[in-house]
Amino acid sequence: MLNFDWANGISVETAKGIIIGLFVLMGVAVLFLPKKYIYAGVEDPHWYHNLKLWAIAALAIIAGTYLYF
Amino acid sequence: MLMGIDYFIIIAYMVGMMALGYYFKRFITSSDDYFMAGKSLPFWAIAMSLIVSDIGAVDFVGTAGQAYRYGIVVANFDWLGSVPGMIIAAFIFIPFYWRSGIYTIPEYLGRRYNQWAQLIASVTWIIFYTFGLGVTFWASGVMLNTLMGWPVWVSIIVTGAVVGFYTVSGGLSAVVMTDVVQMIIMFIGGGAMVFLGMNHVGGWEGLVDKVGAMGDQFSNHFELVLPSNTSTPYPWTGILFGLTFVMANAYWIGNQSIVQRCLAAKSEWHAKASLLLGAVLKMFIPILIIFPGLIAVVTNPGLENGDQAVPMLIRNFIPPGLLGLLFAAFFAALMSTIDSTLNSTATLWTNDIYRKYIKKDAPDKHYLNVGKITTVVILILSMTTSPITDTFPGIYVAIQTLLSFFQGPIFAVILMGMLWKRTTQWGGFFGLTGGILLALMLYTFKGSIFTIEDPFLYVSWWSFVGALIITYFITIFTTPWPLEKIKGLIYNVSDN
Repeated sequence: MLNFDWANGISVETAKGIIIGLFVLMGVAVLFLPKKYIYAGVEDPHWYHNLKLWAIAALAIIAGTYLYF
Repeated sequence: MLMGIDYFIIIAYMVGMMALGYYFKRFITSSDDYFMAGKSLPFWAIAMSLIVSDIGAVDFVGTAGQAYRYGIVVANFDWLGSVPGMIIAAFIFIPFYWRSGIYTIPEYLGRRYNQWAQLIASVTWIIFYTFGLGVTFWASGVMLNTLMGWPVWVSIIVTGAVVGFYTVSGGLSAVVMTDVVQMIIMFIGGGAMVFLGMNHVGGWEGLVDKVGAMGDQFSNHFELVLPSNTSTPYPWTGILFGLTFVMANAYWIGNQSIVQRCLAAKSEWHAKASLLLGAVLKMFIPILIIFPGLIAVVTNPGLENGDQAVPMLIRNFIPPGLLGLLFAAFFAALMSTIDSTLNSTATLWTNDIYRKYIKKDAPDKHYLNVGKITTVVILILSMTTSPITDTFPGIYVAIQTLLSFFQGPIFAVILMGMLWKRTTQWGGFFGLTGGILLALMLYTFKGSIFTIEDPFLYVSWWSFVGALIITYFITIFTTPWPLEKIKGLIYNVSDN
């Protein structure tokens, strides 16, 4: 159990799918964050203060990287 | 061989760092300015500081060496092992810390659990950081000796003097702002080496084709995900469970030197944005530290020790002038790691130990002076004890590995304390101590327990799980704090 023997039957493609699924899940969770929380601390909000966009950009880059490799 | 122009660039870099750090001296009038930069730091500076501090000079050589041996799978540490953790830290933990007004992670543990949890966490961090600084000094000195021919002590004294000067002068502001310049130098110097190397091997496609043609030994060199029964230290199960779920979160959420800079952000938005920008920048780090190892597979096949990859690239491709810039990049990586650790260790000592146990309620100026003196003492202590590294081969890896094990249990008790209001003080205390002991035990008997080569990812995961279980079982048999006492220390969605 300590060596994760149960995972030996899982293919690398499935593992990659799990990892990319994790990025997608995080992206969906970020989209549900309340607007007030995203802009907390900003006096005059503009579109570029929307941290959801920043997070989605980071997740898109990493998901693309794992798709490529 | 270094030429006059190279020495000029290195000396100009050192003098520039000292001048920049000294400039921030004028803004230091209180302990809050020294340890927390007066809560004035912008997101872009924190992001750049976080990224450059995460890469040490030895990583340039050591990580490239790992990439030479195992391939691009090593990049998981900067991608899967950082980006999700940074996003979670940005949206859940860092805003919570920032609002609570704490200086240190042990301070949170002290307020949420008890003074013993705070004391153990603080003392452990201080010891590990101080010895860690020593081994970093020595390992980097040896590396620079190999690459440049400088005596080990010259590298240590020069680096220590420059870092000590600007860190004591300008506190956290100086640390972060010099890190900004250091990151730019690191990207230019390291990027130039990669550009020249890639050009030589025919670009990305040439690199992939040539490595692929070198035989079965290199067939997985461009695979980011390896099967769980691989004999390398990087099975996908270890990467996902040990690295992504535990080590990455523990590092970005529970490591004092990381969290401290985010706490010094000028607003909650800047604290969050710093980690998100950092996550984007992190995606480019493997280009600097992994690609040289992959390029060397083509240019210098058959190296017995992968750590020779970068020295070989330097010998083959770097012209005078650029060599100085590259070594300035190595110094930048070294100094950015040392300055951050130094400032965090001084913060831990002054706030969690000195202010709490040695001298309470002194004027703020007193704590400012203690912080500065502590910075100097730790610097001298780590420099003078650094030769211990030479006496115990492998201590550099051991210290880094043990430090990473300590982070799993800390993360477990932070998580339980923040998310479950029932968690008791003794649950947290024994979860922390029991988790650390479990990690040490698993590491000691790793040969008879684990089947992969270096199971540090599995040790990290299981010590985290062990800490969670211990915390849970001690909690259900002990009495929790009244809710009024832990108000503001538990994560509550309705607060947001």
